[in-house]
Amino acid sequence: MSVATPILPMREASGASSAGLHRPRRVTIDPITRLEGHGKIEIFLDEKGNVERAFMQVPELRGFEVFSRGRPAEDMPQITSRICGVCPTAHHLASTKTLDDLYQVEPPPAARKIRELVYNTFMLEDHALHFFVLGGPDFVVGPDAPPQQRNIVGLIQKVGLDAGRKVIGMRRRLRDLIAYFGGKVVHPVLGLPGGVSKALSPQDLPGFQQLAQDSLEFALWTLQVFKQAVLANPEYVKLITAEAYTHKTCYMGMVDEQDKVNFYDGKLRVVDAGGREVCRFAARQYLDHIAEHVEPWSYVKFPYLKDRGWKGFVEGVDTSIYSVAPLARLNAATGMATPPGPGGLRGILHDPGGETGPPHTGQPLGANY
Amino acid sequence: MNPTSKPKVAFYWCASCGGCEEAVVDLAEDILNVVEAVEIVFWPVAMDFKKQDLEAMPDRAIAAALVNGAIRTSEQEEMVRLLRRKSQCLISYGACAQLGGIPALANQFEREEILRYVYQEAPSVINNSGTYPQPATPHNGDTVTLPAFRNSVRALDQVVEVDYYIPGCPPTPALTKAALDALLAGRLPPRGTVLAPDVALCEQCPRLESKPKDLSLDAFQRPHRTALDPEKCLLAQGIPCMGPATRSGCEALCIKGNMACTGCFGPTSRVLDHGAKILSCFASALAPKEPQGIDQALAGLPDPVGTFYRYSLARSLLRRKRGPSQTQHFIRGNPP
Ligand code: SF4
Ligand code: SF4
Repeated sequence: MSVATPILPMREASGASSAGLHRPRRVTIDPITRLEGHGKIEIFLDEKGNVERAFMQVPELRGFEVFSRGRPAEDMPQITSRICGVCPTAHHLASTKTLDDLYQVEPPPAARKIRELVYNTFMLEDHALHFFVLGGPDFVVGPDAPPQQRNIVGLIQKVGLDAGRKVIGMRRRLRDLIAYFGGKVVHPVLGLPGGVSKALSPQDLPGFQQLAQDSLEFALWTLQVFKQAVLANPEYVKLITAEAYTHKTCYMGMVDEQDKVNFYDGKLRVVDAGGREVCRFAARQYLDHIAEHVEPWSYVKFPYLKDRGWKGFVEGVDTSIYSVAPLARLNAATGMATPPGPGGLRGILHDPGGETGPPHTGQPLGANY
Repeated sequence: MNPTSKPKVAFYWCASCGGCEEAVVDLAEDILNVVEAVEIVFWPVAMDFKKQDLEAMPDRAIAAALVNGAIRTSEQEEMVRLLRRKSQCLISYGACAQLGGIPALANQFEREEILRYVYQEAPSVINNSGTYPQPATPHNGDTVTLPAFRNSVRALDQVVEVDYYIPGCPPTPALTKAALDALLAGRLPPRGTVLAPDVALCEQCPRLESKPKDLSLDAFQRPHRTALDPEKCLLAQGIPCMGPATRSGCEALCIKGNMACTGCFGPTSRVLDHGAKILSCFASALAPKEPQGIDQALAGLPDPVGTFYRYSLARSLLRRKRGPSQTQHFIRGNPP
């Protein structure tokens, strides 16, 4: 799930009274915007106006756990992709890999490479979606901009139409690659136990090689945009690194045998907020390590580290709550498997002022970059 | 152009996956023209407008609202009623809104069965206190609320009147663009029209030539157990393909991915029940005529509801499982 973190001040929050004498006791944000999924936030304030308790609620349930039962296993990659149409490729391939495990088959090398190509392409275009459409406008357009402008349209106005076209064009090309193999880009159909449904024809290879080259340039350009729009602005850096926005949980990410980030395959590694390894396991052992907790105020369940037991919504080294996604992925690994591009990947957010920061901090405002 | 003189457009999602939102973003370069031509007044996935902004608008102020997702909760009912009131034209966008979609597969299970499994019985859940989501949770004299979880999943037009339908899981950018162009030009067909070609997918399929007139199938195959000929009609190879009973308009995307159509574009206008239509197509394609041979062939379709009604259970004649008791509610909600 791509999540845009709301940033104070929340001008659009309902229930906020403008009368100076009576501070609002309750701030409601409904719906949460610029993220995939349905959410609502209720914040309760104390007399001083500080947050006393906040509830991030998911107001719906579809019940995939229930209605997936009793269906042919090979239908699962196409059914579970409907968990999320923004990251269908993730669900599709997770389910496809489960089929490999179920049938005890290894895909042949070419099929494995196709899956990795599709998945890494997805990682790139999805991060671009987050940066330019979902979360990025908070920074690029600015946290103080009026809500009507804090979106992709406002972002294009800010960075210019040419840059906007570049982003849109690159995402289109990347998504066309996914559709080439997957039939559809939203809800691809390529996954089969032990393989993929479609091969790459040799005459299409040069086009994709060119795309890979262009993608690298695009990634480096995006990094520059990020550095200029966010890191060069001391106000934003202050905001990102502020104690109020620091959140220390455990972190989970997939790593290869050298503990480097891998998007497609490997073991799940969990570290605590101090960087110490908590556990490491193969996906098929998830029930030994992860449990789900139920609260009365949300339809979504709360996964936590089973060994540690549910300890409530507390942070710190001992918490049983873990984060996933980009920041967590970097925290859970010792680095990237490929050499860093100019400008470096690690260190951008961990130490926004420089290149060598302390490795394990939690800055949710940067969690998706 | 003065922004207020542009037609206002809203996008909203109910029980859906966000794929329909991506389909709109996949207009790619064309989205710049859309943004130029209309004023988007509500779009939770991409813009920061809130429910209260929508409530503050005069009735019928929105030219067109495109709503995706099926309806399961009281909040989704409220939101689509609100959007209906505020909009001149309400467009059902995608398979979930039109037919129930994948979320409607939950209609094979009773409401209590779903809640019990999700919050109590699933192997990952540890819930010794027997906690279930509640309509109201007290907090220091205040209340935190959740919408009611209804007995079944419904399609959009089972809750509010719908003017047009754009089919697909998700719809394609090309169909979306054509619909928006028609809307802006005031060239829309009669109300109630599904905005996609009204012929079966096979007509658009690159493999149509290899589809025999008389299929004469002895058995159905599973796609991973068959070496598929990437040129030949899938149904002719025994793979259950919903193409003959499914509306075209997607340009045969799954077939181009060398997999069968699962029916996401729903039926053509001449068909009342999509699943029944597929069933009858398959029945006439079977070679065996005696019970034993028929049973053997049908053994290749172990999940008939999930195969024939993959996206259309809510809008079918079956609609949902009707259990003996609907009285015990973990979360109270009026049955539809
Ligand atoms: S049955 Fe399927 S593969 Fe065959 S022609 Fe129709 S859509 Fe194409
Ligand atoms: S081939 Fe069938 S399932 Fe695939 S996109 Fe087209 S209508 Fe939908």
